[in-house]
Amino acid sequence: MADVKVVVPGDVIDTHTEEEESVLRLGPGLIQQAGKVNAIAAGVLHASSDTNHFWVVGNRRRYVPAEGEPVVGVVLGRHGEGYRVDIGSAHDALLPLLAFEGATRRNKPNLAVGATVYARVSVANEMMDPELECFNSHTGKSEGYGELTQGFTFKCSLGMARRLLNAKAPVLNALGDQVPFEAAVGVNGRVWINAGAPEKTILVVNAIKNSEYLDGKQSKQMVKELLGKQ
Amino acid sequence: MARPDRRDPSQIRALHCVLGQLNRVDGSAQFSAGDTSVLCGVYGPVDVKLYDEKLDRAHIEVKFRPDIGVPTTKDKWVEDAVRSTFEREILGQLHPRTLVQINVQVCQGDGSVDAAAINATTLALIDAGIPLRAMVAAATCVVRSDHSIIVDPTQEEADSALSTHTFAFSNLQTNSPAYVDSRGEFSIDEYNACYDMCMAAVDRTLAFMRTVVEGKILKETQTAL
Repeated sequence: MADVKVVVPGDVIDTHTEEEESVLRLGPGLIQQAGKVNAIAAGVLHASSDTNHFWVVGNRRRYVPAEGEPVVGVVLGRHGEGYRVDIGSAHDALLPLLAFEGATRRNKPNLAVGATVYARVSVANEMMDPELECFNSHTGKSEGYGELTQGFTFKCSLGMARRLLNAKAPVLNALGDQVPFEAAVGVNGRVWINAGAPEKTILVVNAIKNSEYLDGKQSKQMVKELLGKQ
Repeated sequence: MARPDRRDPSQIRALHCVLGQLNRVDGSAQFSAGDTSVLCGVYGPVDVKLYDEKLDRAHIEVKFRPDIGVPTTKDKWVEDAVRSTFEREILGQLHPRTLVQINVQVCQGDGSVDAAAINATTLALIDAGIPLRAMVAAATCVVRSDHSIIVDPTQEEADSALSTHTFAFSNLQTNSPAYVDSRGEFSIDEYNACYDMCMAAVDRTLAFMRTVVEGKILKETQTAL
């Protein structure tokens, strides 16, 4: 905790480096104004000294799409050559009909309105509506992307979603020891859980929601108590 | 002339803030100064009506509701104050063709409500992670009937004032205010004295806001792996 530097909007960041004329890389939460680097979001300042990379990490609830990120979305409708998918961003995303494994003009997927999909953001910038794909466009394989059937989707904060994506996430590991379930985590703050029976699904969902402000040890304890009450 | 609550002329009321208590909005803050308490909820960046869509930046919309009664012209003025202040501070160019909606609800009004609205909005925008050039805080000064100047007036003190001045400043190192509103009859010396007193009060408010935000960030950080 000693080395955590919290910045708020308006703070000037000291980006002094040993070499003169080096290139600075500014990540999210920072902008360059009048020769100085200012923070524009509140969060913890991270710096990578070998690559001169600076960025701010802060938690949010509203998703802003970025290329390459996995998201959980809900199909809103079919729109010409693709589906309109709600991923929680300001604008709905477009998922082309051919962006699935093994899809051809003759063999297109048939998703119903309200279907849940796990997709990868293929195009995202502030000027266009985001676009998704349900496969790895280089290999042509689905690699886990595609329709998510049955199960239950719930919302969490973006920071929580990123913690869940870590393979060592304490709450998921503690649950997985006792309850078999499938999970798909989107960095857009949506998590899909399928544990078979509704009671098990509700239990897993509640455990994950409870762990928002708990650390590893507390998460394990909370899961133990939740499972013990069954 | 002593103040009813025995405060010094340059003493602001006790500040209190709760961040993120509303769970259906993207960011929220309840800011209180003494008995004045204002709750602000923010959505953004979200989808915008075609009519309001701006091609190069976000559209900022403010709704302000008083604690008692239906919104009147006075409340529209506060909406305009908040909107014009934050249209400059929110980096809308990062989210073109979207909407940032700021909803301000007065929970309890006891003077300096417009300043509290600006303070609550800054904190709610930070809670929502909407990009801001700087933190903005506001304070109100009034010139009393004996021409003495006091900061952060209660409703009783503001009602009997000769002139009321609200100033907002950002935490960037500039001397120009982010918002100015002066009403009543006053001299240029009185205006300047209010300016200085408000600036000092805003410095204290900004320090308080920083503490509140740091507390929230540290609480989130300790749960990270």
